[in-house]
Amino acid sequence: MNDGELLEAHEKLLGRQPDDRAKYRLLPLVMLFVLSGCVLFAATYLNRYSGHFDRSIFNENLLPTGSGPVDLKPDPIALGRRMFNSGGACYSCHQPNGQGIPGAYPPLAGSEWVNGAGARVVRIVLDGLQGPVHVGGKTFGAAVMPAFGSSGFNWSDEQIAGVLSYVRQEWGNKSKPISTDEVAKIRALTADHKAWSEADLLGVK
Amino acid sequence: MKNGPLFLLGILAALLFSWAGIVLGSNAQLGALPAYYDANDSLSYPRRQPGIAAEGQIVYRELLCSSCHTQQVRRPDFGSDVARGWGERQSVARDYIYQAAVQLGASRNGPDLTNLAGRKPSAPDAADLMNLLYAGQGGMPAYRFLFETRRIVGQESAAALRLTGSLRPRPGCQVVPTRRAQELVAYLLSLNTTYDYPESKPAPAQNPEQK
Amino acid sequence: MTSANPQANPNDETPVEATGRCPIVLLLAFSLAWLLVSGTLAFIAGVQAHTPAFMAGCPILTYGHTRALQDTAFTYGWIANCGLALVTWILGRLGGHPLRAANWMGVGALFWNIAVAAGMVGIATGSATALTSLQIPGHIQPLMLAAYASIAVAGVLAWCGRSRPSLYAAQWYGVALLFLFPWIFSVAQVMLVWAPVHGVLQAIVEGWYAQSLWTLWMAPIALAGAYYVVPRVTGRVIPGYDLALLGFWSLIFIGGWTGGRHLIGGPVPAWIPTIAIVASVLLLPHYIIVLLNLGGAFTRNPADREGGRSLAFISFGLAAYVLGGAVDSVTGIRSVAAAIQFTWFDEAQRQLAVYGGVTMMLFGTLYYALPRLAGRAWASASLARGHLILSCIGIVLLVVGTAGAGIVQGSDLSTAGVSFAAIATDVHPWLSVGSVAHATLLLGNILLAINFAMTVGCGRLRAAAEALSS
Repeated sequence: MNDGELLEAHEKLLGRQPDDRAKYRLLPLVMLFVLSGCVLFAATYLNRYSGHFDRSIFNENLLPTGSGPVDLKPDPIALGRRMFNSGGACYSCHQPNGQGIPGAYPPLAGSEWVNGAGARVVRIVLDGLQGPVHVGGKTFGAAVMPAFGSSGFNWSDEQIAGVLSYVRQEWGNKSKPISTDEVAKIRALTADHKAWSEADLLGVK
Repeated sequence: MKNGPLFLLGILAALLFSWAGIVLGSNAQLGALPAYYDANDSLSYPRRQPGIAAEGQIVYRELLCSSCHTQQVRRPDFGSDVARGWGERQSVARDYIYQAAVQLGASRNGPDLTNLAGRKPSAPDAADLMNLLYAGQGGMPAYRFLFETRRIVGQESAAALRLTGSLRPRPGCQVVPTRRAQELVAYLLSLNTTYDYPESKPAPAQNPEQK
Repeated sequence: MTSANPQANPNDETPVEATGRCPIVLLLAFSLAWLLVSGTLAFIAGVQAHTPAFMAGCPILTYGHTRALQDTAFTYGWIANCGLALVTWILGRLGGHPLRAANWMGVGALFWNIAVAAGMVGIATGSATALTSLQIPGHIQPLMLAAYASIAVAGVLAWCGRSRPSLYAAQWYGVALLFLFPWIFSVAQVMLVWAPVHGVLQAIVEGWYAQSLWTLWMAPIALAGAYYVVPRVTGRVIPGYDLALLGFWSLIFIGGWTGGRHLIGGPVPAWIPTIAIVASVLLLPHYIIVLLNLGGAFTRNPADREGGRSLAFISFGLAAYVLGGAVDSVTGIRSVAAAIQFTWFDEAQRQLAVYGGVTMMLFGTLYYALPRLAGRAWASASLARGHLILSCIGIVLLVVGTAGAGIVQGSDLSTAGVSFAAIATDVHPWLSVGSVAHATLLLGNILLAINFAMTVGCGRLRAAAEALSS
C-alpha cells in the first residue's frame, strides 16, 4: 500500500457508522462499556478521595470540616510538645522520654504528681519547686525546678496549660488536660509566690 | 477529520485544559500561601533560612543530592517515614514557602532530609555531617572534592575535621571544608519542620468511612 | 488494496527523500551519537547505583550528575533528534509534496545539538536545574526552543500544504507533538526557571511538565511512526480504525492530567494526586485502542525481511507501551504506591515506557525509513538482527532487574528497623543485573550505529565513485 492508498483507505473507514450496512459491529459497543466503566470508576474515586479540592487537606481520606478549612487555633497538645522540646527548658532535665535522670531529676511518666491534682502541678510549673520531693517511692533532693510563671521563664497561660496537658497525656500518662482558665485562676491566686516545697503543695487541695 | 485549523485548536485547547486545571488551579490555592503566625510565640512559621543556608541550597541543587534524598515526610499511616524518625508529622505545603528551589525528590537511596535538624532524640551536628560528607557511609559516596588537605601553619584550623583511622591526614596536615561544604552543611542544619501547623494534623473527624 | 509489500527499492522513493535527505539523515546521525553517549552514561550510573565509590572522586561524574546527563542525552539527544527526523519524514510523505524549508531544518538540527551539548557541559559543571526531565541550565533553554521551531517548520509546512485534505492517524500524532512541545517546554521554563512559582507549586509544575513530556510528546512520537509503518508493511488497513480517533483525543486531553502521579502522599493538597490517579485510569481505553489498532505488528511477514524487522521492533515496543500503561494505573492505587514509592520500581516503569516502548518503536520506524532515505537497503542484516536480539534481552533484563530492586527496596523501606546499609546489600544483586542490561543495550546500539554508518557512508562513497568515474 503506498501513501496515497493509505490515506484514502483510512479516510473511508473514519466516516463509518456503528451499524454499517445493517450489520451492528460489536467492537464500538465493547469499547463504550470499557469507557463507561473507567468513567464510573474515575467519578467515584474523584468524589471520594479529592478532599473536596480543599487546599488544607493532605490526607485523601479526610474531608474539610464545615467551618472553614481547619480550626485556626493551635492544638494545645502540639503547643505543649513544642514547649517541652524547645530551648532545653523541660527535656534537658526530664528527658525527651519523660523518664528523668535517676537520683537527680524525677520522672514525669507515671508520676503521681503529674497525674495528680491539677492545682498542684500548675503551681509547680508557675512558681517552681525547691527541696526534696518523693516520686514513685524515690526521693529527689538535689535539683531545683525553676519557675515558668512571671518570676521565671514568663510563659503564657496557654503555654503552661499546653505543656501540662502534653505531659499528662504522654508516655502512658492518661490524665485530664489542664485548661488555660485554670492556669489563669491559679496565677492570680498565687501572685508573687516563691518556689514551693513538697509540704506546701501537699496542703493544696 | 479534515479541518486543519479546528484540529490545531483542539490540541491546543486540550493542553490548555490540563494546564489550567493542574497548574493554574493549584496556583490559585497555593500561590499566595502565607506563613502561619503563632501568637503564643510572637513568631511566624516557617522560619526563614539564614543566608548561608540559602547558598547551601544551591550547592545541594548543583550536586543533585535530590537524586537519592527526598525532602518530604509522608503521614504516619503511609509508609514508615514517621516510624524511621524522619519527622513527627506529614510535610505540608506551608513548610516550603520560603524555599527558592523546592526539591521534594523522587527516590530514597538515602534517608529523607526534610527534618534533619529537628530529629529526635539525636539530630546530627555540623561535625557529624562534615565527617559523613568526607568519608561516605554505606551507600553514600564520599564527596572528597568538597574538602581541602592543607599544611598546618601555626595553629590547626577550628574547622578542621576530626578524623580517625585510615582517614587521618599526614602529620602536619589538616582536612578543612571548603566554602561549599560549609554552605551545604549550614543548609542541611536549617532543615527543620518540627512546628505543627493546624493543617498538618487535621482533625480525624469527618472521615466518610466512619459516618 | 495492493498486497505487494514495498521493498527498499527506488520505486518507493518520493520527492520528500530528494529534498529532505540531508537534514533528516543529519538528525538521525546526531540521534545515534547521543544514544551512544546516553548508553555509556547509563552504564556508569548503573554501576554507581550498586558501587557508590565508582568515579565518586570525579566532581563532574557524581551519581546525581551521571543520572541527569544520561536523562538529558536520552531525551533531548536521542528521542528528540530521531523523533523529529522520522516525524518530519512521515509528515512529508503523507503530505505528498517535496519537503519545504529543509534548509531551516538543517540549521535547526545544528543549533539544537549545539544547545544540548552546551546543556550537558552545564549540568556536568554544576548548573543543573535539579528538575526532573528539565536538567538543562536555564540560559540554554531559549536556544533549544528556537532550534526546535526551526526544525519543526518543515513538518508543519508539509502538513499545511498537504495534497489531500484528509488526515491519517500518523499525521494527528505527528502534528500534535510538533505543536505541543514548545507549549509545555516554554511554560515549564517560565514557571520554573525564569519566574519560579512559590513553594510546592514548583513540584506540581515539574510533575506536570515531566508527565506531559511523556504523554504529549514522547508517546506521540512513537505512535506516529507505528501508525505509519504497520499498515505499510502489512499491507492491511488498521483494524478498528474509527476508534483511533478516540484513542488520540483521550491521550491528548487526559495525558497532561497525570502530572501529580509522583506526589502521592506528598505535601500537596490531596486532590492533585487523586486527579492524576483518575487520569491514569481514564487513559486505559487509549492503550486498549492502540493495541487493537496496531495489533497487526504482531503478524510475521517473512516475504518482506526489512519490513519484518521493523515490525519485530514495533511489536515489542507496542507490548511494552501497553504494559507500561497498565502498570501506571496499578501503581496509581495508593496502597501500591505507598509500597513502591521512591524506589527503583519507578525507574523500572520509566525504562519500560521510554526504552521498551518509545525507543523500540522508534527503532522500528528507523529500520523502515533509512533504506528509503539512503536509497539502499541496510548494509548488514546480521548487525540488525544482533541489535534486535540484544535490545530485547537488554530491556527485559533492565526492567526485571530494576523492578526487582524496587520491590526489595520498597519492602525494606517500609520496615522501620532496616538500615540503609542493609537495603544497599539487599538490592545489590538486582542492580547488578541492571548494569549488565545497560551494557547489553549499549552493545546493541553500537551495532546499530555501525550499521547506520555503513549504510549511509557506503552510499556516499559509491555516489562519489560514480561521480568520479563519469
